[in-house]
Amino acid sequence: MERRDFLRSSALGAATVAASRLARGKDGVATPEAPSDGLTWDKAPCRFCGTGCHVRVGVEKGKVVAIAGDQLADVNKGLLCMKGYHVGLALYGEDRLTRPLLRKNGKLEPIGWDEAVEIIAKRVMANPKGFAVYGSGQWTIPEGYAANKLIKAGIGNNQIDPNARLCMASAVTGFLSTYGVDEPAGCYDDLDAAQVIVLWGNNPAEMHPVLFSRILDRRARGDEITIIDINTRRTRSSAFAQHVLTFKPQTDLAIALGIMNVLVQKGTWDKDFVAKYCNFRKRTDPPTLDGQAMTFEEWQKAIAEYTPEKVEQISGVPADKIRLLGELFGRRDLRITSLWCMGMNQHTRGTAINDLVHGVHLLSGHFGKPGDAPTSLTGQPSACGTVREVGTLAHGLPGGLVVANPAHRKEAEEVWNLPPGRINEKPGLHTVAMWRSFCTPKEKGGEIDTLWVQVTNPGQSLPNTNEIFYPSRKIPGKFLIVSDVYPTETVRHADLVLPSAMWVEKNGMFGNSERRTQQWFKMVDPPGEARDDCWQLIAVAHKLLELGHPGMKDNDGHFLFETKDAQGKEVPIWEWKHYYDVNVDQRLFDEYRKFSRFKHKDLAPYAEYVKARGLRWPVVQQKDGSWRETRFRFAKFDDPYATKADIQFYHSVTKDDRALVWFHPYDPPPESPDGEYPFWLCTGRVIEHWHTGSMTMRVPQLRNSMPQAYVELNREDAKQLGIADGETVIVESRRGSVELPCWIDGRGKPPRGLVFVPFFDESILINKVTLDAHDPLSKQPDYKKCAVRLRRKVG
Amino acid sequence: MTTSGLVLTLAEDPALRAAALAALARDSRISVGEPSGLRLPIATEASDPRAAEALAEALGHLDGVRFVDVVFVHFEETDHGTT
Repeated sequence: MERRDFLRSSALGAATVAASRLARGKDGVATPEAPSDGLTWDKAPCRFCGTGCHVRVGVEKGKVVAIAGDQLADVNKGLLCMKGYHVGLALYGEDRLTRPLLRKNGKLEPIGWDEAVEIIAKRVMANPKGFAVYGSGQWTIPEGYAANKLIKAGIGNNQIDPNARLCMASAVTGFLSTYGVDEPAGCYDDLDAAQVIVLWGNNPAEMHPVLFSRILDRRARGDEITIIDINTRRTRSSAFAQHVLTFKPQTDLAIALGIMNVLVQKGTWDKDFVAKYCNFRKRTDPPTLDGQAMTFEEWQKAIAEYTPEKVEQISGVPADKIRLLGELFGRRDLRITSLWCMGMNQHTRGTAINDLVHGVHLLSGHFGKPGDAPTSLTGQPSACGTVREVGTLAHGLPGGLVVANPAHRKEAEEVWNLPPGRINEKPGLHTVAMWRSFCTPKEKGGEIDTLWVQVTNPGQSLPNTNEIFYPSRKIPGKFLIVSDVYPTETVRHADLVLPSAMWVEKNGMFGNSERRTQQWFKMVDPPGEARDDCWQLIAVAHKLLELGHPGMKDNDGHFLFETKDAQGKEVPIWEWKHYYDVNVDQRLFDEYRKFSRFKHKDLAPYAEYVKARGLRWPVVQQKDGSWRETRFRFAKFDDPYATKADIQFYHSVTKDDRALVWFHPYDPPPESPDGEYPFWLCTGRVIEHWHTGSMTMRVPQLRNSMPQAYVELNREDAKQLGIADGETVIVESRRGSVELPCWIDGRGKPPRGLVFVPFFDESILINKVTLDAHDPLSKQPDYKKCAVRLRRKVG
Repeated sequence: MTTSGLVLTLAEDPALRAAALAALARDSRISVGEPSGLRLPIATEASDPRAAEALAEALGHLDGVRFVDVVFVHFEETDHGTT
């Protein structure tokens, strides 16, 4: 067979299996053998969003040359979105970083790795309190674990926080305050069973397209599915919805309260479920995750004012639509899944709206059965696995433990074999505070003076960058280290740049939105001198050991990251030439796994993930020795830890196996449009690009499809401002401005008074304009609403 | 050469479906597989990834084709030097 015929046959074979799966919702034909003919195929989760699709990666002559959807993967069943389809090309942008670079006399100049590692270690030694790591939901699980251990067990200042603070921290606080433990109870299987899908400020048609097509595929097979799109602007998802409810920014809280009000007024709340499994709470001042207890009668009184008519006044959504939502949730014969992502999380009331949506499901009993679930989605491939589970947050420890809890510190000290009292009880600074500290001179209280960024691009993604990113670049003594694969906006402003290996250039593990832990092996070498982020952390840790940092030794005087081979001999993994002598990922994961049992997030042995396309925790060993994943948490029929009742919230805040239904009143946002700045600005993503575009803008097909950011403007507003389609517009807030082309009646359709700008374009940094106001509990900033004005650029 | 595997979701209307199948059969870049209900697996060949993308997009606009899902792509010998 000619090679061309072989490739065509492989492509057709893959498509045939996928077509059969799509048509029948299950395997109709056998999965073909992985094609050979010189290509080596292996599995990996996609590098981009939090969906967690698996791809098959074809390697030839040391390069990735082919990508196929993985038909063995439950998540995507062989399908990929346009980003996943091009994920292999993201490795091969022409400007990959290949050498460490140090800024000398204003210019970044090549240096060696030894010098780079020594520079970092000496800065830590000079001021350990001033050193911080800013990480990512794109860190692999072992990378995040190594960084967290370096900071929490070693350096001891707890100054580590991830970019996931910007994307899902409010979901975390919502889960914690409702169930006492983080992460969704349901999973993607709910999308196969739900009859109603409610999108809360969520646009999965563009942001999680494989999940959205999973829903649409059911429709194509004849299932009746009602999609309700609750949004602040019409999106591609709206086109598939039977009901589109456009609300005024911030008023989603009122909508959720209105649904609760209808349930109570009509007496259609699930009395049995509430009596057995729920307690009621209201907020305190200052707010806490525990709140203050209230009776059902007090709670009922509190929500009484949120009638459909009142909610219409607040939100702009017609009262009959609020009634429609309330009536749907009041039906026991339907299965309802709510989905949300940044719309609810990037919100100054993020915790509150998360609580309320959970509350709607609990009050109506739409919980704990396949298809009945409140499910948050994540934007990054391991926001759950690396940030929420490994605990790479300023207050966190692995496995859902926290530094402020003495018992948790003791558990962590035992796992890490540390002397009692080693772990600092004081949480470090959250993202916005960390960057503000870095942007503040030391004499004015800005303690953080060395900040190491890995796997993220804060120069483009932080809010209000004119205040919390750029000022640091002008303050003497502030030193920015960036590990990355491409020259991003952050890299361009760094003092020290470390070239990193990316995706299948290294071993890795991710954890997706549905508690699924995934594993892959290194398949190709990184370019030039690029090296694994995990190695970079361990090399710095060892250099600190050499320089005498006391935190780099455990209770027995051994290196914190001591690794031995099968014969018990120590492997110097801090030396790059020995890093792959053993599987460092596996060693780190084996240690991390011990933490997973504290909050019933049990992980299986590493080898189980090698075999699987991911497993959803808790993964518990069966009597026959096999390992069983859990699809529906807290439900007795599926969760091995729910043993006492049909539903058991076994990490309940109130210690009685009950979840909390909260009352949070609607409050206006900190900044609203006014006479001077009359428009709402909402920012977000587009289907072609992922986050700051540092990878996808280097894939020609994706860049050509969407080459530049734009401002999406309502036609009537444009007419009133005298702005024509395609004209350059200045979008300006109290914090900064950008110039960009206007798109009228483009992909999204904002209502009058609202504009949308995507943030992927490094040539148009919209986060100079956004606000860094954040939720009081989650500390997550609000990128979805601030006040701006627009004018046509003249000349 | 870029080789892709796609799944087309065809229209329920038999006339539109037939028109789509006829158009696909006329295109030498396309190999058609065995349909599963309204899902039709095909393999496409194009000169480079950009042309492959354009072809996939054009298929999405063909009368009788409702959706195009990409499930496989082999992008060796591209203008990005990935071989």
